Amino acid sequence: MSTLREDLRDVRAVLPLLGLRRALVARAVALGSLTLAASVALSGVAAWLIVRASQAPPVMFLNVAAVGVRTFGIVRGVSRYLDRLAAHDVALRGVVNLRTAVYEGLARGRTESVAGLRRGDVLARTGVDVDDVGDVVVRGLVPAAVAAVVSLGSVVAVALFSPASALVLLACLAVGALVVPLLAARGDARAERERVQARTDVATASESLVARAADLAVSGRRESELAALGRAQERSADAERRAARPLAASAALAVLATGASVVGTLLVAVPALLAGTLTATELGVVVLLPLAAFEATAPLPAAVTQLHRSAAAARRITALLADAGSGATAPHDRTTAPTTAPAPTPAPRTGPGLVADGLACAWPGHAPVVTDLHLRVPPGTSLAIVGPSGTGKTTLLLTLAGMLAPSAGTVTLDGTEPRLLRGAERTAHVALTTEDAHVFTTTVLENLRAARGDLTRDEAVRALEQAGLAAWVETLPDGLDTPISGETVSGGERRRLLVARALVSRAPLLLLDEPGEHLPTDVADALVADLLALTALGRSVVVVTHHTGAVDRADAVLRIGTTTMSPST
Amino acid sequence: MKPLDPRLLRHARSARTFVVLAALLSVGATLAVIVSAFAIAHALAPVVEGRAELVDVLPAVGVLLGAVLARTGLVWLRERLGQSAAVATVGELRGALLRHATRMPHRWRVRRGDDVTVLATRGLDDLVPYLTGYLPQLLLTAILTPIALVVVLRLDLISGVIIAVTLPLVPLFMWLVGVTTRTYADERLAALTRQGSQLLDLLAGLTTLRALGREIGPGRRVRQLGDAYRRTTMQTLRVAFLSGAVLELLASLAVALVAVEIGMRLVYGHIDLTTGLTVLILAPEIYLPLRAVGAQFHASTNGLAAAQRTFEVLQEPLPAAGTRPVPAWTRLHLTGVGVRAGDRGYLAPGNLHAVVEPGCVTALAGASGAGKTTAAMTLLRLQPLDDGAIRLEHDDGSTDLADVATDGPDGWWAQTSWVPQRVATVGGTIASHVGATDDAIRDAAAAATGLLDVVASLPRGWDTPLASGEGGLSSGLSVGQTQRLELTRALVSGSRLVVLDEPTAHLAARDEAAVVDAVRAVARAGAAVVVIAHRPTMLAAADRVVTVRSTPAPEPTTAPVPA
Repeated sequence: MSTLREDLRDVRAVLPLLGLRRALVARAVALGSLTLAASVALSGVAAWLIVRASQAPPVMFLNVAAVGVRTFGIVRGVSRYLDRLAAHDVALRGVVNLRTAVYEGLARGRTESVAGLRRGDVLARTGVDVDDVGDVVVRGLVPAAVAAVVSLGSVVAVALFSPASALVLLACLAVGALVVPLLAARGDARAERERVQARTDVATASESLVARAADLAVSGRRESELAALGRAQERSADAERRAARPLAASAALAVLATGASVVGTLLVAVPALLAGTLTATELGVVVLLPLAAFEATAPLPAAVTQLHRSAAAARRITALLADAGSGATAPHDRTTAPTTAPAPTPAPRTGPGLVADGLACAWPGHAPVVTDLHLRVPPGTSLAIVGPSGTGKTTLLLTLAGMLAPSAGTVTLDGTEPRLLRGAERTAHVALTTEDAHVFTTTVLENLRAARGDLTRDEAVRALEQAGLAAWVETLPDGLDTPISGETVSGGERRRLLVARALVSRAPLLLLDEPGEHLPTDVADALVADLLALTALGRSVVVVTHHTGAVDRADAVLRIGTTTMSPST
Repeated sequence: MKPLDPRLLRHARSARTFVVLAALLSVGATLAVIVSAFAIAHALAPVVEGRAELVDVLPAVGVLLGAVLARTGLVWLRERLGQSAAVATVGELRGALLRHATRMPHRWRVRRGDDVTVLATRGLDDLVPYLTGYLPQLLLTAILTPIALVVVLRLDLISGVIIAVTLPLVPLFMWLVGVTTRTYADERLAALTRQGSQLLDLLAGLTTLRALGREIGPGRRVRQLGDAYRRTTMQTLRVAFLSGAVLELLASLAVALVAVEIGMRLVYGHIDLTTGLTVLILAPEIYLPLRAVGAQFHASTNGLAAAQRTFEVLQEPLPAAGTRPVPAWTRLHLTGVGVRAGDRGYLAPGNLHAVVEPGCVTALAGASGAGKTTAAMTLLRLQPLDDGAIRLEHDDGSTDLADVATDGPDGWWAQTSWVPQRVATVGGTIASHVGATDDAIRDAAAAATGLLDVVASLPRGWDTPLASGEGGLSSGLSVGQTQRLELTRALVSGSRLVVLDEPTAHLAARDEAAVVDAVRAVARAGAAVVVIAHRPTMLAAADRVVTVRSTPAPEPTTAPVPA
């Protein structure tokens, strides 16, 4: 378990990415303070009103106080509503900035770290982590600032009447605002580890009881396993009990601090009244006001807990961005690359096309799957890469596209290293369609526009026809505008959709991984042949496939995973 | 959803203790609050009225101190006991859930097993905030609010009436706000979920966009989506916070009204200062637990929903248990056996006829989804039949398998063995897992199944430790070797019926041959062996091959054949 200091440091590290606007934070703190100030004022003025009334003055002297009490009552209710909205607004704006920063950091980052994001749990956790960091604003920072403002304000207000009482209140509020939350935060690291371990044990035992129910019943071990679960639960309960100890002490201390402030004020202020330094009405205010002031420090233990949770989320986000190898930039100095604008038409190609020399490629941290490869794909030609599965065809394709760094040798694309290409520059040279390319949860048309923002409907229809999806689109309820997702399209449809997406790209070089997968052999062969025929339009095509039926249409064939690895022309 | 489900008290003993305890603590807290209010008023009023000095009010201050200390202690107790009682309650529910789920028919578990696992591992933990946060406040509302209200009514009728009138308005307005905004909130919530998943979708497609050189533009899309998400959330919150705002406004306004009305009557001497102060201090305390209930409500709903799903599982009837001891059977006779496949309107297996005899290997073949595993489960008494019967034939007639006991030394499971595809071990050594008391018997059995060769090849032999979990893989045993280990265990235990689930799936040819030999050895030793089989080698080694098929379900009017 991390210390409070570490938590603060780690949360502070991601705060710039939230891009919080000072004015909005100030508004949230001001409204929060107003709510509690109205609460304190309600107590104070009500006390004054009652004590003064008991002295039987003319009613007109009480009218202002009577109106004041009612006003503060209304202000408190309305302001509570507004301050909650203001705090959430600040937090949500911060979350939007943080999410954009995380996305952009990952977008510029290394491929292999981003590839890990495809796993559903990592993805979901990243989403939750971003929200958790946002929560530190609503449940941590704003309440802490409000507590500081209102506590000090109350002390100053009491000091105007009785400095001695103010000292008592200050001391008790200090306990409530500092000692109580710190006590709540103090969990010893060993108890925390035991708690996590015990919970894991319970979860493992539960899972295995359900998964192995048949096995356990027949082998007569069901009862003993249930007993083992019971023991794991006992350990878990013990650990929870130990972890609850500082929390219980903290909650009790908060009650004690509030009570002590009333008792202490009575003991200090009553002699002041008798000594004539304090009037009767002031005594009433000084004694009853603290009861409301402690409302400000009440959310602080929860604030510390939230800080701890947010810090853990902040650490994961920082690690994710560091792993992507990019210092994510703060939102205000984002470079705004205008890539939603129409993609520029490819620059006329003067270069030699795709050239690899002495190339070795490997997934980071793994042994090279392809070594010492020399190949050339001049503009307007095609290359088919064939070979059994597991021989590194995909890794080679990713390296050629510049998504992975070569482990040896060089790859150049019209004279530049493809790894250095970003955004529109990349689109001007190459478009890669991987086997696991994502089908976005949006319409058919928007899925194609993922490759080219200014795609017209007619162009989309033509590309879908070319990919053999014309009939499929006709069956869709809203044609091109039908929403689809990775789960609603079949394997074959998905494959063709990815081909259509590659076709609409303006890139002069298309790299495709297994475009014929999940399709009947003759259909797959026809599709690969169509793709290879794109060279007639001046484009270059590199296709990885294990459908060998159409590969003789390619200008060159590279067989890998066999003894020789040279292109046969 | 009921705020306190009686089924919770019925199923979890700790919850009963906890509710009683929390109620007692609430009574204590109520007394402390009331005593504090009286003590403060009695310490303050005489001094204000110039009737007393510090020494005169010291007894009142002492009483106040006592009440403060009592309240401190009560809060400490509530936190300490609350947490452990909550964990114990969750533990009891989890235990009951798993105990029930492990006794349900196999097919039910196939359908609901994942739900049960999620409930047991995560869902039920959400009950802790309900038990430690919401429930105590609910009890406090039920105890403190009426008692304090009666005290105020006795002290001062007018103030009491103001509170008594405004108090019911709080839940009434919250309910009204809730009802009128529910449709709106549901729509917003759906929009939120949609936008949230769009954002995740863009993250998931990041690699694809990079491959197309289109990753930078969507940064702006993420921002736009995020802004839309924020606006929708704020719209939801504007509505969601309304009920809370009504609660706060009514509470503070009512306190203000009480203060003003007491003040005005004090001027004319209709009420004395001590009473006025007492009522003023008590008034906000009456609303406090109600406000806390409102604040904790949302945190409690997940846990309550999880508890409800647990109770639904616990209410599912368990299959009937037989009581008769297992007779000395010579054959198992399956006639027209059928098991309903969920709600899908057919039987899988359906109309299954087979004879299973000791000394024979019977293979269950058939397409996937035909119900081979379910058929095996009916033989193991882990799945009741919806059609047909399985009879144990013996010298003096036959007994329905459904009538014999399962547990205990005379039960069916004492003489059956089940070897799943992935064998699970629970630690210990190879020797302890096989569980023989006589080394000679053990070695003979191991020789028959080929385990002896495996043991001989291990440096620590019989004392090789087994990992805890599936496959025992970290122990260095292959899948084929664990199959032989399990068959040896079946031989040693003298099982009369051994059922295996595709023991040679995923095995290389050499391992496959070894396992097939081991299966034959078990049959030779006199056990009836039933094996779910796909591969030709295993089917060829069987004495009988029974093809399992699914059939349309019998007409709804046809009652299941009585057991």
